[in-house]
Amino acid sequence: MRTTLAVAADLLREASKRKWFLGLGIAITLVLSTLGLSLKLDVVDGALAASRLFGHLLGGDIRAVDVAMRPVLKGTSYLVFYVGLVFGIVACADFAPSLLSPGRIEHLLAHPVRRSELLLGTFLGVLALALLASLYGAVGLTLILGVKAGLWTLGPVLSALIASVCFAAIYAAMLTTALFVRQAAVSAGVGFLVFFGGILAGVRSDIAPMLDKGFGRSCFLAVTLVLPRLSAVATAAADLAGSTPMPVRSLAALLGGVFVFGLGVLALGIFRFEQKDF
Amino acid sequence: MDAIRAEALTKTYRGLLRKAGEPALCGLDLAVAPGTAFGLIGPNGAGKTTFIKILLGVVRPTSGKVEVLGGHPEDLAVRARIGYLPERLHLPEAWRPPEFLASVARLKGKRPVRAEISRLLERVGLAQAAGRKIAGFSKGMRQRLGLAAAVLGGPDLLVLDEPTDGIDPLGRVEVRKILTEELSRGATLFLNSHLLAETERVCERVGILASGRLAREGRLVDLCRTGERWILEFAPGHDAAALAGIGLSPLAGGRWGCEAETAQALNLVLDRARASGALLVRLERDERDLEEVLADAVRVAA
Repeated sequence: MRTTLAVAADLLREASKRKWFLGLGIAITLVLSTLGLSLKLDVVDGALAASRLFGHLLGGDIRAVDVAMRPVLKGTSYLVFYVGLVFGIVACADFAPSLLSPGRIEHLLAHPVRRSELLLGTFLGVLALALLASLYGAVGLTLILGVKAGLWTLGPVLSALIASVCFAAIYAAMLTTALFVRQAAVSAGVGFLVFFGGILAGVRSDIAPMLDKGFGRSCFLAVTLVLPRLSAVATAAADLAGSTPMPVRSLAALLGGVFVFGLGVLALGIFRFEQKDF
Repeated sequence: MDAIRAEALTKTYRGLLRKAGEPALCGLDLAVAPGTAFGLIGPNGAGKTTFIKILLGVVRPTSGKVEVLGGHPEDLAVRARIGYLPERLHLPEAWRPPEFLASVARLKGKRPVRAEISRLLERVGLAQAAGRKIAGFSKGMRQRLGLAAAVLGGPDLLVLDEPTDGIDPLGRVEVRKILTEELSRGATLFLNSHLLAETERVCERVGILASGRLAREGRLVDLCRTGERWILEFAPGHDAAALAGIGLSPLAGGRWGCEAETAQALNLVLDRARASGALLVRLERDERDLEEVLADAVRVAA
């Protein structure tokens, strides 16, 4: 475990020195600063409340504050979730191919390190990186909402945490892909495939009836069966952020599915890594 | 116990669909004694890098047996005693040398000690560049850093793939000095180099790998020896016809060659030459250089 953590910590150290990541950190800061300086969000708290976003009344009717703020919180949650995942796929696509590059992998494997430790260390390092970046953005949004509107909520942070769980599953697929094809573009491509496939999988029961009965529909259902239900998780995260009632255990079941998908793909990756000659 | 022992080692790389692949090693037998310097040479594609990777557990053999420091190459305790420098070491560009060496120390299960890292950088001639990013390093500087990583922690076996590649002539002298120090410490040195002169200078024993097989192996002097041929050089003014008359054959550069199986036979030839008025100024065995030995071994193997 110590070696796994050492590999993860090294990955974080390396990322912190890369201009690409420093640039993304600055970009997130700029977006947050722009939002912080330009956002005009007025919430009049009381027994009943209304919200105005850029001068326009949200919804129409004056409602209770938690209801009035739901669209903002849900929107923020979706933003953190989807932008976070896309950011993660693009920013982390290069890590596994870089780890497996000739001259590096044999040097690493020549040390007293188990292959599984090396792979898990890389996986954990990337996850820690994604978690830090998404939490940075989410905490920033939380602070802006809190300072600007007096609305202190953990919604964006919860959404970032849930997005990180989903990213773990996506990155497991990207990492495993890199073990078969050592190309950052292919790794990112598979990441986006799981991302968009996961969005479809979340609404598979709504889409399936639109397809002709038979082979096509069966294929669609079979493929989307194994994919993580990303859009459903995003909706659940948004409901959680907006304090909207949701079915008992639905989020846990969805996250469980995501976890099983990620674990299965990662196990395949570890198996491949153990067998592979470098 | 040998530092390295390989018996009937074969390796065939197969594709994803398990199609029959090209054999990289075909029944390699090799033993390297501890505390010695062994050089592996051979043409491109001979299987040298594959063999090194098998020693490190990075590549698994198709069949045969390999032992490193008395254990299996994938045994972590064995790997902890090996220092390795790959041919094309990929270094983290954004790091500085101390950060890289600290990372290597952690991977070797050791606590990185700043003083030790500074000493190591001094030893490989990178003390002045310790504060610079690796991205700005020349090929030679990268090799030096890789060598520092390999010797970090004082390993029992050093496996070096082209250690002086890209290093200037003066730097090569420094690298040889480091390798000699490691040998004096008791470490075993396994060197793979295209630079035959380097191998000649550092290694006592040499193995020639050709088409996945060990074509020749032995002490350098034995491999380079050409039977009982001698080269003689006489002072100016000698009688060439007389020397030819006693069985000496003229060579390039005014030198002469002769065959003599025993010391008595050699001295008899010398006595006859001196009797003809020739004054001997230089006598040496006619030895081939490693390049000729390699070319010969590869030709025979083919």
